[in-house]
Amino acid sequence: MADVSLAAVTKRFGDTVAVDDLSLDIADGAFMTLLGPTGAGKTTALRLVAGLEKPDGGRIVIGRRDVTSLPPAARDVAFVFQQYSLYPHLSVFDNLAFPLRAPARRLPENEIKARVSEVAALLRIDSKLGNRATKLSGGEMQRVAIGRALVRRPAIYLMDEPLSSLDAKLRADLRLELKRIQAELGATLLYVTHDQVEAMTMATTIGVIDAGRIVQIGSPREIYERPASLYVAARLGQPSINIVPRHLLPDIPAPSGAETIGARAETLRVQRNSGEGARGRVTWIEHLGDQNHLHIELDRHELVALVNPDADFAVGDQVGVGFVNPLFFDRNGVRLVR
Amino acid sequence: MTAADEPGTLVERIAAQTPPHVAARVRGLSDRSIAWLFIAPTILLLLAINIFPLVWAIRLSFTSFMSNMPMPMRFNGIDNYIDILADEDVWQHFQATAHFVVSTIALQVVIGLGLALLINRQFRGHSFWTTVILLPMMLSPAVVGNFWTLLFQPQIGPFNYLISFFTGAPPSSFTMIGDVRLAPWTIVLVNTWMWTPYVMLICLAGLRSIPDYIYEAAEVDRASPWRQFWAITLPMVLPFLMLAVLFQAIQAFEMFDLVNLLTSGGPGSVTELVSITLKRSAFEKWETGYSSALAVILFVTVFGAANIYVKALNRVKQR
Repeated sequence: MADVSLAAVTKRFGDTVAVDDLSLDIADGAFMTLLGPTGAGKTTALRLVAGLEKPDGGRIVIGRRDVTSLPPAARDVAFVFQQYSLYPHLSVFDNLAFPLRAPARRLPENEIKARVSEVAALLRIDSKLGNRATKLSGGEMQRVAIGRALVRRPAIYLMDEPLSSLDAKLRADLRLELKRIQAELGATLLYVTHDQVEAMTMATTIGVIDAGRIVQIGSPREIYERPASLYVAARLGQPSINIVPRHLLPDIPAPSGAETIGARAETLRVQRNSGEGARGRVTWIEHLGDQNHLHIELDRHELVALVNPDADFAVGDQVGVGFVNPLFFDRNGVRLVR
Repeated sequence: MTAADEPGTLVERIAAQTPPHVAARVRGLSDRSIAWLFIAPTILLLLAINIFPLVWAIRLSFTSFMSNMPMPMRFNGIDNYIDILADEDVWQHFQATAHFVVSTIALQVVIGLGLALLINRQFRGHSFWTTVILLPMMLSPAVVGNFWTLLFQPQIGPFNYLISFFTGAPPSSFTMIGDVRLAPWTIVLVNTWMWTPYVMLICLAGLRSIPDYIYEAAEVDRASPWRQFWAITLPMVLPFLMLAVLFQAIQAFEMFDLVNLLTSGGPGSVTELVSITLKRSAFEKWETGYSSALAVILFVTVFGAANIYVKALNRVKQR
């Protein structure tokens, strides 16, 4: 394992700039997640680290070695692809053993066997080792693909939305497992996803990426509670953050220049027949079992508030909405600190 | 009332608007009988030009019928078969055919796969070269045969000139078509020249079906290009290659036109493939019964071998 850093890396495909002057430091043992929507350049960034793409500018350093011009094989990285990139005619065992049989790092066969069975047990695919790779379910295939990375001890593991093709339950299971394995191995991991839940639950550090640029780097908590911009605030949180123009809430003390107020659903305090806060009307109630989502119309703006399922609201109720520690953004969407 | 107000599905609504006398006629037709109605013309055609001649040839193969003699058909049991299988010459022709098939297929596979790998690198102008490589396959065998006869001409043929340029031997010192040792290789050469593009094309389709990310994964896994070829390319292209071999083996086994134009079986009978034997007995000696029996033997051989091969192919595909 090693520190990995990207310094001012740029990658263009024709006229489009996929990665734009991107700098990133990944500490040894960190679980770094790049979070962003489709087309934000996160996969390209990952492929640049792997050496599957050559940068047009900037430097990539892995473990104090400048690898910018080296091919993937010389970089000491492992990669998990979004698709199940298994060798289809090989058995699960041979798929897992494939990287260990590379001439450059040929291991004795008994050690290969030991490593493969260790990883197979970790991923709970030990009963499938004799199967052909194509005779597995989607979840098993992706676990083999992850396993093929884990049998190695590279400087960094690179994962490109490895869980996105799995069903919800398996995704949740593997999320926990991956995090556990990473912690156990003390592995350095760069993980790309557009799924905020994956980013929030697994990462030690999240890098939010937009249009090829890093918008904010920080711990999941920092990013959630102190987003640098409206863009970052909107990427995290389910239901997503409520955004209200400042002039609708004149009573709230705000820093000068504030144009927009953001408030997460759980920070809204809703009270019926109350004179406090902003006046709104309940338009819809979503019952989720453990909580209710209250949709409130506030001067033609819809807010979603999280309320206790026991709270007895009805559609049409006039309510008062209080804002606890709201976030303020200026006209460019940059957050203002009070 | 508009159509949308009427009850039932679209099908029911259309059915309701069909005039009664038409409906009565159509109602008599089940899905199955309509299906039969559609395929009947094809089946009739198939029966007339495939199945009937086959059955008729099998029948003729048990007779001593000669189509140029005004004699009634006389059954002679399995005499024709005994004659054929006991004839050493026929066995020799089978052997010549086997040599031809194996040699040309081996060359086609090696060269075809090699060309496919080259073209698949997607260099500048690769589509132009693909077209160039495919040209021989698109020519008529008659053109190819006459063309190569000219090329092989000892005095003025460019082929002999080319060989002499590299070896120093005078161009007229050897004849590709007239020499007992060279003639079998001549037909292998021309057939390979004509049909390698076909093998290349199918291999290329196979290569294009391998997703890039498998190679990327292998690259990250530090597999050398050599290992990538053996571990990824070859196994994944194998089903395609085997299919090409099947088609080309059948084609080579019954190949007639090129040999007939180039050597017509000679010199002696070193290039006499069974297809030539068949043509001679059927249309030079007019032994219709005998040649029908030979045709049946050929059919059973190809059919049986192809069936075994297809089973093997399916096993490879299922992996």
